[in-house]
Amino acid sequence: MGLFRTLGIRAANLVVLLFVVLFVISYALSGPAAKLLETQIQLEARALVSQLAKSGHYTPAQIQELYNTLVDQLTKAYGLDKPMYIRVFYIMYNMLIFNWGYSYFPDIYGIASGRVADIITSALPGTVLLDTFGILLSAFIGIQIGLRSALRYGSKRDRAVMYYGAVSNGLPQWWVGILLLLVFSFYLQTVKSPIYFPSGGILSPQYYSMWFTSPLSVLTNPNALADLLWHFALPLATVLIVNVGGWAYFARTVTLNTAQEDFVTFAKIKGLPDGRITSRYILRPAAPAIMTSILLSLPFIIFGGFIITEAVFRWWGLGYVYNLAIFAPTPDMPVIVALTYASTLLYIALVLVLEVLYIVLDPRIRSE
Amino acid sequence: MAARREFRILGMTPGEIWRGFISSVTGKVAFAFFAIMVAFSIYALVALPPNFGALWNTPSYWQVNPKYAPPAWINAFTGNAYAPQLAITNFNFTGGSSGGVGYAIVTFNVDYTYSTPWRNLYLIVRNPNVYNATSVAYLTVTRPDGKTIQLGPIAVNSQFIGLGLTPQLISQVDAFYQTNFGLPNAVPAGSSAIPYIFYTVQNGKLVPLNGIYKFTLTIYTFSSSTTIGKKDLSVVLEGEVFGLMGTDFLGHDLWLGLLAGFPIDLAVGLITAAIVVVLAILIGVVAAFYGGLVDEILTRVTDFFILLPAFPLLIVFSVMFQWNIWDAIVFLAAVSWGGSARVVRAMVMQIKTSQFIESAMAAGASRAWILRNHILPMVMPYTLYLFVVNVPGGILTLSAINFFNLAGAELPTWGNILAYANEFGALTSGYWWWVVPPGLLITFVAVTFIFVAMGLEPVVNPRLRHA
Repeated sequence: MGLFRTLGIRAANLVVLLFVVLFVISYALSGPAAKLLETQIQLEARALVSQLAKSGHYTPAQIQELYNTLVDQLTKAYGLDKPMYIRVFYIMYNMLIFNWGYSYFPDIYGIASGRVADIITSALPGTVLLDTFGILLSAFIGIQIGLRSALRYGSKRDRAVMYYGAVSNGLPQWWVGILLLLVFSFYLQTVKSPIYFPSGGILSPQYYSMWFTSPLSVLTNPNALADLLWHFALPLATVLIVNVGGWAYFARTVTLNTAQEDFVTFAKIKGLPDGRITSRYILRPAAPAIMTSILLSLPFIIFGGFIITEAVFRWWGLGYVYNLAIFAPTPDMPVIVALTYASTLLYIALVLVLEVLYIVLDPRIRSE
Repeated sequence: MAARREFRILGMTPGEIWRGFISSVTGKVAFAFFAIMVAFSIYALVALPPNFGALWNTPSYWQVNPKYAPPAWINAFTGNAYAPQLAITNFNFTGGSSGGVGYAIVTFNVDYTYSTPWRNLYLIVRNPNVYNATSVAYLTVTRPDGKTIQLGPIAVNSQFIGLGLTPQLISQVDAFYQTNFGLPNAVPAGSSAIPYIFYTVQNGKLVPLNGIYKFTLTIYTFSSSTTIGKKDLSVVLEGEVFGLMGTDFLGHDLWLGLLAGFPIDLAVGLITAAIVVVLAILIGVVAAFYGGLVDEILTRVTDFFILLPAFPLLIVFSVMFQWNIWDAIVFLAAVSWGGSARVVRAMVMQIKTSQFIESAMAAGASRAWILRNHILPMVMPYTLYLFVVNVPGGILTLSAINFFNLAGAELPTWGNILAYANEFGALTSGYWWWVVPPGLLITFVAVTFIFVAMGLEPVVNPRLRHA
């Protein structure tokens, strides 16, 4: 019973979190951003009117009237005539029912329909490929390194892993990406090296439409796949260089803490073989902590740390879309709100999965 | 008289903690790094003018052609001598001839902010007619403080009009400079005047005068058939750049910008961590000590802040509200105390169940007394560790924000320097000296604090000592 209560409280907390984030974002966007939108509307109306003026014969008074009507209609269409609190809740309501609307600047994303949902779904595979796969791979490698290092505590290799972990925790991931670009893209091209890496992008332009329509077909086409891997090399290397160290350090600390528990000492006194001590008495109790950390950091990393890394590599993922939306001529509100909402939603789903997994993995909680 | 109570934290005196910290290799490395960092910060605060940060860059200069120079020491490897140039903006030319006299008037501004003194100042005249004829040049410099210096007239008799190198009167420090610019007597008469034009005297010391210098160059050629066109003249201003880190697209010495970043980036990390620690201790202790409903509510709030996606929110708010770096610091600290508060809460819960608390309760001690005399003294040493652990996060997050040209674009933080590098194509043009040092310094400061935390860990966590 207590278990369900705990889970229920967590779930309620997460739902509150979702609403608060949504409210805060909607508030921020319906307040100061509305002014930006007003100028945007005026520009849009002026462009339309000038087009009309070119094609037909209008008197200046007619043009002015047309302009005013257009501004009025657009203001009404964007809901700017309503008071702010209504706009806030309107944005929130639309987000909740997945009515994410249209981007103000569809051109900068290169998605013809301009629907926010299309933009986000087109960027999702890139994020999954770089962020999710990158994090899982670096976690896998890093944890292996960390475990081995912790089991030989105090050795030179252990010391090296420790310092590598510490340094990689202090490395800005995007800066490492920039360095790799500088060396493996720019420098190799200047010295006319036969092998060099692209300076950005997720694919060569000829495969872009393929990637947008069905990413899976890129994976089955050998040429496109090779192109994808060629573009993927530097971003993945960046992710691995920076994250493997952090995971190794983390796994090492967790394992060391467990290795000092009394039951491990007792197992050693009992004379159990080393392999069994490692797998049953050290790794098994350490698993929940490691698992929690991986799952909890996944969404964090996807919507936090990778925003800039994706922007550096112009990698077509959610982080890059975030970047494009924020630095559009005026902030592209529908996209920003939808991205933040979608990320929070995903985050919450993952955390809930984590809570359940945690209970499965950690018998101490189960018996509570 | 009551005996003075010995100051102990975690049962150790500060001296013991210090000895524990410095005895490990990591502690020694951390201490060395920390000393370097603090030394550079103090040097930056003392050596750079107080308004340096505000002066360092403004968007109005951005129409300038790039003038990059790699670090001077690179010459040793490549054998190439680079002449770093200073940024010339608002270059205006009028020229022609009247009454048998050809003339050219060139006005330009030089951004001297963020630069080191010059030795040389060259004007290159490309048209042989100009320098074969008898030509005379004047150069007028108006300093940011309003003082005007007239250089010239000098005869233009070679391809270069060297102002500052040629032994003309303008190149010498003489009574004029001594009196007009208040140069101290220590400046030797006869030395090049050019560097002293760019200095001002404050409290008897020479201090570089940063800002925009306005130059007017006038050339007359006394030849019947000469006009001077725009093509005939070009101005090269060579800076004697310190050269450790090269120059950026404005000819600014990058070393000065990087130096200015030391106190700022350090302050960013320290302030963020300080706010985080205060909030974490306050909330953690209150939640654990009072328990019950208070604990329940505070734990929910803590969980909420742990889960909040801080980085996207920070970006969005920085764009929406035009935040500066201090706003961003406060926001970042205000949303990132969750994890630390959870640890503090767990610590206090553990302490609360110890026997000496029970004994104190049994002896009739009040809750406030126990909090003040037992719990706080045991939690306080951990604040140092908590503080140190939280510094790198603040530095890294805010340099990432700055890399987006958000939150404090007016300050020479390392994130901003990298943002400019990115914006002006350093990545695709190979200006590596503009990209590598700022990132290395961010890493250096972050890693210093990580090492300090690593050195402190065995001290605050006694279990690790016997590992």
